[in-house]
Amino acid sequence: MKTSKLPTAWLTAGALGLLSLTTTAHADVAPEALVGPVADYKLYVLDNLEQLVTHTEDFTAAIKTGDVEKAQALYAPTRVYYERIEPIAELFADLDASIDAREDDYEKGVEDPDFTGFHRLEYALFHDNTTDGMETYAQGLMNDVNDLDSRVQGLTFPPETVVGGAAALMEEVAATKVSGEEDRYSRTDLWDFQGNVDGAREIFDLFKPLAAEEDADFVARVQDNFDDVEATLADYRLDTEDPTAGFESYDEVSDADRRALTGPVTVLAEDLSTLRGLLGLN
Amino acid sequence: MSQSDHPSRCPFSFKTTSRETNACETTSRATEVSESKAIDSSMKLERRRFLKSAGMVGLSGVTLGGLALGSACPAQALAATGHGQDVTSAPQEQDSQLRYPFHGHHQQGVVTPRPASGMLVSFDVLARDRDDLETLLKILTERIAFLTQGGRIPERNPLFPPPDSGILGPEIAPDGLTMTLAVGDSLFDERYGLDGLQPRRLQHMQGFPNDALDAARCHGDLALQICANTLDTGYHALRDIIKNTPGLLMVRWKQEGTVPLLPPSPGDVDGSARNFLGFRDGSANPEGDNEALMDELVWVGQDHDEPAWANGGSYLAARIIRNFVERWDRTPLKEQEAIFGRRKMSGAPLSKTGAGVEGKEQDVPDYASDPEGAITPLDAHIRLANPRTAETEKNRILRRPFNYSNGVETNGQLDMGLLFLCFQADLEAGFIAVQQRLDGEPLEEYIKPVGGGYFFVLPGAVDETDFLGRGLLAATA
Repeated sequence: MKTSKLPTAWLTAGALGLLSLTTTAHADVAPEALVGPVADYKLYVLDNLEQLVTHTEDFTAAIKTGDVEKAQALYAPTRVYYERIEPIAELFADLDASIDAREDDYEKGVEDPDFTGFHRLEYALFHDNTTDGMETYAQGLMNDVNDLDSRVQGLTFPPETVVGGAAALMEEVAATKVSGEEDRYSRTDLWDFQGNVDGAREIFDLFKPLAAEEDADFVARVQDNFDDVEATLADYRLDTEDPTAGFESYDEVSDADRRALTGPVTVLAEDLSTLRGLLGLN
Repeated sequence: MSQSDHPSRCPFSFKTTSRETNACETTSRATEVSESKAIDSSMKLERRRFLKSAGMVGLSGVTLGGLALGSACPAQALAATGHGQDVTSAPQEQDSQLRYPFHGHHQQGVVTPRPASGMLVSFDVLARDRDDLETLLKILTERIAFLTQGGRIPERNPLFPPPDSGILGPEIAPDGLTMTLAVGDSLFDERYGLDGLQPRRLQHMQGFPNDALDAARCHGDLALQICANTLDTGYHALRDIIKNTPGLLMVRWKQEGTVPLLPPSPGDVDGSARNFLGFRDGSANPEGDNEALMDELVWVGQDHDEPAWANGGSYLAARIIRNFVERWDRTPLKEQEAIFGRRKMSGAPLSKTGAGVEGKEQDVPDYASDPEGAITPLDAHIRLANPRTAETEKNRILRRPFNYSNGVETNGQLDMGLLFLCFQADLEAGFIAVQQRLDGEPLEEYIKPVGGGYFFVLPGAVDETDFLGRGLLAATA
């Protein structure tokens, strides 16, 4: 267990009048101004999907050859690409369920025949410590990821989904990452945490120039809070020089740091929930 | 509670015509104005006024509405009896315009009559530093001042999330809402520079022998007691607080509860409400409207050997006490009554009943003539809790509990019990001493404390320039 001291003083939405209702006359953003950032975001998603496909090939190959240790090592680094693009991936509810559902989503839990995907494999790899009987699940995951890739290629990205995705990712973090329930067997929650934050920050950065025209204080506050979350996460990196080395087990995260993460994560969720409105999107 | 539940009785609070509503609101506002004058001129008068007068603001308003329409309504008789004014008297149906003043030397929700619903919410404070903590206390003060007085919710560009949850509609009625802010001992750790000025008896709750404390339902940096006529009003207030304090507060645990409503019955003077064991709870409570007694037993004052900033505050002991109700319901009535020391239906002490005599709940138990416990067992709950001796008078506490029901245990038994809340000027002489006397009582077979904590209720915010906790911050500046 260890605790960290966050470097910068973050400010709260409530203290700065997030709810003061002074922000009522926006929607000056021209629709065509959104085209560029949305196109850039699609490139980001497609790039991450490509990585997801490649990593899933390696991950599922390790399972099929019965290499438990290798499969365990590849579990978190593969998932991270999915976690980054969840706002888009979730548009396909059938695939989201078969790729990323947790046992809690099924009445019969791990025994439920419909429970598949990453978390079913996590259970086998980290709870049962085996790849036995997992070939079908591995192939199913591979098929689903390929299916997702081809479906997203042809997808037109709605601007409100893209912009709203930043808030959606922070809601994911607030609901399931801080509590440490996402990767309960592998304890690789911090990988997913960082993936969600990366995805949210990408969206925010793409629309930041437009948002800054509407509310510069808002942009500064969101950046500070992103920085604080990332600083706390960085304390748990195994190698600060090498991001691919990943994170310590979530069991190592102190209660004080869980609380320290909850603060800026909640403010980010509140702030980013106004990003659509700020840009005049429905 | 809705009108259809009691079709035969006078509708006090609901489904009034627009004329009635207007009459009611007008009366409420008029009373409020006259009260703010009273606060200016005399602090001492103020508490008595809101107990005796504001507590009935809504009722009298609706009474006028009813009379204006010419209907014969028992509310008039009810108002005359003074029924329902003690802290633990069974709450009666109240109208939504019932409003308690927020500003004052003491906070609301302690000596104000207990309404039909209440919850205790414990928070971890996430504020990074003292400045953030001050911001938090100011936001809480501002929100409580608004929510307890009611008003129209703000509107916002619909492209943004709405600033209010909307669960009470566009117009928030005060609905008897009180919100009482208290601090836990952990707030006085190294984070905010408050060490050294902790109230002297404020401490981390330690488990008693019969406790099975669940860490997830214990302690906290802050506690907010939220009471109102309806649970929905309390939930609305809680969501408002959460919405307005992102990054500053995190809910640690909460427990809500209710108190069964009594139909108005002028003959049943101040009957205490029943707990989930079926017994009247609060019978021997000190009178909340006895100002001198409250200053002695409940409110911290200059005589109480506490830091000066704490004057006007009070200690809150909160306990989540599971009741094993199925087992209780399989226990003979005589045994239940011996365990408590009271008759179950009337609430009369055992020492005042028998041989054709049926006592009353308000009768003072007689232990002096029963030294062996032949009538009231020596280990009966009420005899241990309050032995009625000169030495134990200082141990009296002001109870303000609610009944809770949370769901079902894996064994199929109901998870029900008591959200025990009590206030006192001295935590050690109060709750802790009483609970130590109760340790080992026969009732323990049927109850299991699982959570709670000790908190200190901050002194009130006296006016609009003041905020809850200002004195504490100033004292440690």
